[in-house]
Amino acid sequence: MSDFAIIGKPVALIDSAGKTTGQGKYTDDLSMPGMLIGKILHSPLPHARIKRINPTKAVKLEGVVSVVVGTDAPNKYGILPVGHDETALAVDKVRYVGDNVACVVATSESIAEQALELIDVEYEPLPAYFDPEEAMKAESDLIHDHRPHNIEKEYHHVFGDPGAGFAQADAIVEGRYVAGEVTHAAMEPHSTLAYFELDALTGEEGRLVVQSSTQVPYYLQHKLSIVLDKPMAQIRVIKPLVGGGFGGKSEIIPLEIIAAVAARKAKAPVKITYTREEVFWAHRGRPRTIIDLKTGVKRDGSLTAVAAKVIQDGGAYCSYGVVTILYSGALLGALYDIPNIQYDGFRVLTNKPACGAMRGHGTVNVRFAFESQLDELALKIGMDPYDIRKRNLLKPPCVTVNGLRVQSYGLPECIEKVVKASDWAARRAEYKQKYNGTVRRGLGLACSHYVSGAANSIIRSDMPHSTVNIKIERDGGVVVYTGASDIGQGSDTMVAQIAAEVLGCTLGRIKVIAADTDLTPVDIGSYSSRVTFMNGNATMRAAEDAKKKIIAAAARKMQCFEADVLMRDDWVWKQGTKPPWERTTTAGIAEVSGHVDGQVLRGSLQQKRKDEGPKDFMTFEEAAVSAMDFAGAVSGTGAYAPPKDARGGGHKGGGVGPSPAYSYSAQVVDAGVDTETGEVTVHKVWAAHDCGRALNPVAVEGQVIGSVWMGLGQALQEEFVWKDGLLMNPGMLEYKSPSAVESPEVVTFIVESIDPEGPFGAKEASEGSLAAVIPAVANAIFDATGMRLRESPFTPERVLSGIRKVMGLKKINMTNDVDPTEPHTLREHGGSLWFKGKGPQRHEMDPARKPALSREQ
Amino acid sequence: MKKELIELKVNGRRHELAIEPSKLLLDTLREDLGLTGSKRGCDDSSCGACAVLLDGTPMLACTMLAAAYQCDGGGNEVTTVEGVAEHGALAAIQKAYGDWGGSQCGYCTPGFMMTVKSLLDNNPEPTEEEIKRALSSNLCRCTGYTQMYEAVKAAIKAEQQGTNV
Amino acid sequence: MSLPSFKLLRPRNVEDALGFLHRYEKEGVQICAGGTDLLPSMKQRLFSPAYVMDIRGIEELTHIRVVPGLGVELGSLVKLSAIEDSGFIATHYPVLREAVMTVASPILRNMGTLGGNLCLDTRCLWYNQSLQWRKSCGYCIKKDGDLCHVAPGGKVCWAVFSGDSAAALLCLHAEIEIASPKGRRRIPLADLYTNIGDDRMRLGKSEILTRIFLPEASAGYSGVYRKLRLRGSIDYPLAGVAVAIRKKGKIIDDARVAITGVNPAPRLVKDATHALIGREMNEHAAMVVGELAARVAKPLTTSLLTPEYRREMIKVFAKQSASRATPSGPSIRD
Repeated sequence: MSDFAIIGKPVALIDSAGKTTGQGKYTDDLSMPGMLIGKILHSPLPHARIKRINPTKAVKLEGVVSVVVGTDAPNKYGILPVGHDETALAVDKVRYVGDNVACVVATSESIAEQALELIDVEYEPLPAYFDPEEAMKAESDLIHDHRPHNIEKEYHHVFGDPGAGFAQADAIVEGRYVAGEVTHAAMEPHSTLAYFELDALTGEEGRLVVQSSTQVPYYLQHKLSIVLDKPMAQIRVIKPLVGGGFGGKSEIIPLEIIAAVAARKAKAPVKITYTREEVFWAHRGRPRTIIDLKTGVKRDGSLTAVAAKVIQDGGAYCSYGVVTILYSGALLGALYDIPNIQYDGFRVLTNKPACGAMRGHGTVNVRFAFESQLDELALKIGMDPYDIRKRNLLKPPCVTVNGLRVQSYGLPECIEKVVKASDWAARRAEYKQKYNGTVRRGLGLACSHYVSGAANSIIRSDMPHSTVNIKIERDGGVVVYTGASDIGQGSDTMVAQIAAEVLGCTLGRIKVIAADTDLTPVDIGSYSSRVTFMNGNATMRAAEDAKKKIIAAAARKMQCFEADVLMRDDWVWKQGTKPPWERTTTAGIAEVSGHVDGQVLRGSLQQKRKDEGPKDFMTFEEAAVSAMDFAGAVSGTGAYAPPKDARGGGHKGGGVGPSPAYSYSAQVVDAGVDTETGEVTVHKVWAAHDCGRALNPVAVEGQVIGSVWMGLGQALQEEFVWKDGLLMNPGMLEYKSPSAVESPEVVTFIVESIDPEGPFGAKEASEGSLAAVIPAVANAIFDATGMRLRESPFTPERVLSGIRKVMGLKKINMTNDVDPTEPHTLREHGGSLWFKGKGPQRHEMDPARKPALSREQ
Repeated sequence: MKKELIELKVNGRRHELAIEPSKLLLDTLREDLGLTGSKRGCDDSSCGACAVLLDGTPMLACTMLAAAYQCDGGGNEVTTVEGVAEHGALAAIQKAYGDWGGSQCGYCTPGFMMTVKSLLDNNPEPTEEEIKRALSSNLCRCTGYTQMYEAVKAAIKAEQQGTNV
Repeated sequence: MSLPSFKLLRPRNVEDALGFLHRYEKEGVQICAGGTDLLPSMKQRLFSPAYVMDIRGIEELTHIRVVPGLGVELGSLVKLSAIEDSGFIATHYPVLREAVMTVASPILRNMGTLGGNLCLDTRCLWYNQSLQWRKSCGYCIKKDGDLCHVAPGGKVCWAVFSGDSAAALLCLHAEIEIASPKGRRRIPLADLYTNIGDDRMRLGKSEILTRIFLPEASAGYSGVYRKLRLRGSIDYPLAGVAVAIRKKGKIIDDARVAITGVNPAPRLVKDATHALIGREMNEHAAMVVGELAARVAKPLTTSLLTPEYRREMIKVFAKQSASRATPSGPSIRD
């Protein structure tokens, strides 16, 4: 028997039946009497001043209730306090194709859609910027007036002495890596339902209720308060089931604000659900990134210095951009022992949908570059990729040169596990020996890590990041009130498990009430993999708080010290006596307690127990009832704030990157490359993930596999295809998230490093494994073909183009002449260049110039 | 456009409804019958979240006109995810998807329930390849599909042992 | 996304269908079979017909019938999944089964029909987009606009025919029957297509594709279909090659190669037939087939992958498929 009754056991997600039966409600499944439908008009131009919006014709359409425009709610907001640059709807300018211009509220979706066509908008086109390196040169026509050169934020960090580090190096590799843009593509399109109550005292507009597919209900409440000029106490945000987030719902998405503004203007409940195309425009995904990376090693493989210059194509708004660019630098640390780091990061604005936080936020693209370059270095000094990684392990507990505190560190074990399971050396040697026709096989190894929540919250304060309340019911039921937002990762289940384990009751007793700002105490949201660590700790403390009261009563009942009271599996007993389930005489007790149905029979139970006199064991229910006898209401509360020593260095931007604990991952990818077609087939991935303690192994496995799999999508087939600010593939048909066919077997190994501060030793499990798989695939392709791809995704045309180059065969021309083995710039889709990078003015030679312009107006 | 009276048979029950001829079966199920289990995940007939069974065959409700699937000729029986549970209990496949992590966020799950139900109804012992092919009709963004194979296999085993009969 | 308003017609037989087409010709009737191509396009307002005619109720067009001495007759409403499941097709016309099995996904093959797959609208990233999206590029020549974005300044539409089964059927020298109020005519499938992106088919407004014939003479050809795709399921081909070969002993008796996904029409590579007949298959012959196929392919920037790569894959796939379709052993008929 393990030490735990519930922790560490595979448990079905407690809301899974609602999902498999269709009973569970997501936001778009909700409706209410009098509900209207909102539809948003989007900008057809990438950068333009709005001269005039005339909704008259639209308003006159039968069934249209109102048309909302930017001036209806001009207050600025943004997820970061330093990045309040968005408005509900465009006030003066539109900044990308798809930007939000107006919203029609109507009695049906089809009427609203028709009305969109009737809104007359006059634009004055402005020069637009689609390439970050070009955008940085801009002197005028800035995307945001307060951001010179269209640079949202730049950071220049130096840790240690990089110059000296490179001087010590025996080998240095330098190169440019380019990562394509990817998006979350969660299966549920964003949806929000908003309505106002009327106030009984004033008779006027009362409280606002918003149900929304969000990872951050409390931030939503905060931003609604800013935009609608309404106290947070007057706003209730409820998170129904959420159909996946991956970061795409971790900030305030335009429709969430628009729905509330529209409900106010239409004076009726309004629901807005994005089309899939709108989801792609709302985006907030992983930006296209240019990474100029330089790494030095000594002959023995030890790293001496790293210098990285990172340029992120952030899109038209700040979003999480400042955090993203900081993570990209900060997370160079805490994986390996790197004595000297130089980091120059540029978050750049362009006239494209805003990028934001996506699974593995900030670390993924830089990790692709770093782990690729590490293999290049290993090759240069004649070392095995496995050995060079082993050579550079951290020695925790430690604080890295850039101020990250590392306590638990399962990376060595992760590496050993996957190297052993994949039979690394032998299998690689075998693949070198035999070819199968045009297909070459190879293995690639890479590692990655991620934070278990940010040690500093977005809005800096010393307040707890999570608070949890627990209420014990009169029949021994346990209600946990948590602000944690379950978005499918299973946080409700995690909370239930922890509460049950601590309280020593069965899972069936636990009810979780989550993510409703009226009912549940604050939790800052489901992002940066913080929930298990932070909300888990708060849950633990809340449960311990309630348990204290139960134990006090039980001790009194059993006439023993409180320290001698044990609780497990719905039983309470005295230390030193046999656990009740090992006794032969529990039958009578079970009968008494087992059939007591709540408060009606409580009195008689109490009486009976009194008559029976003192015992050395009791049921959970009896103990809970006794606690109420002695203490009145039994409840518990707990909060969590990261400890001060985990909050990082004092340098500018040093607040991002520090975490109370880091997860670790190592992976080996077995891939085949068809040298005639460039098609890459991943046959198998061995993935080991250090999650501290696996609270629920089946859920941990699911998260690890899901991360690896999502990384494979980015590695091989997913990318935003751009043409002058036009997203060419805004849909599930053309954005190729993987199907079951090409999804390989992912063999997972859970490594449990037992973190000293995690709840039961747990750390994050949902993000850390994503980053490793992309370089692991790149390294496997190199192993198979001798061709180093430095541009992702590794689509067959890129792979073939690279192979042709190293084999000296006929060249395959790629768009913009980008060579995927030595990319110099970001690639765009081919086709007509009528924007010419200078704004939406049609090119003079374009024969459709005049008619098209007149149509737009 | 004027509404027309149509008759649909869904999960064994007949419904008379007044709808526009251009109304999709998916919207009819969700809005007119309150059967919100079937989901809309895309707009280009790709994701499979809206899958329902038509006379036992999985199809996309987002790509079917409700008025074209009336139960006039005796056929055209629609089964949605709400009709999968058996006698008030989870069907084997529903239980297994929960137990084995086949469902995370759950948004694609109703679609998968329909594909897998049809697969196992027609082929109680599918090969791994057949399972993979059937699952390739639906997109999932959470699981990477791996745990779904475990779930399907577990459901087959449960059915064979009669644990859910 | 909702559909534009329309009236629904549900004919029960071909005559009624033709009657509807004739009666509402002026208002405009859009024929809908499986709906998997049409309905998403209607959501994008690529089509806003006054009438949609759902022809799935025409039972006389849902058969797969073996006609001894003549071959196989398929109703245009045969579901793609029915072809996939047909043992007879698998045995005698394997290239068709291979091609059909790559179409979209199993669930879409439960809905999609063979006739629908042949009549697929041509596709282009600048065209298969929402109304809102198309507005942002100033529309295109195929719909609501007057220029082509893939051939800048061009006045011709290069949208790509993106059906998989047509390539296989071209290899089988399939014929089709077209019904019109004037009667029924039978033409080679190849003659259906115009190779013009925005006027893809020679099918009149009052005509319906009713039957597809696979000649008996084409039975027993070994066949291979290869599809270029970025995802293993749920997609249209980025390029496709079908090869059907018949051997006598070691010598190639007849060979047909067709390509799809790279031109506004599926195309037979006629030169490949001449190049292979009377020869043995070897590396060189396969390479020649590849070169000839690539010569017919004229891909442009209509889809996600670059034209040059897609053309290259036509070459490689044709080469590989020619070899694969010609096993070194005796052919099926020997």
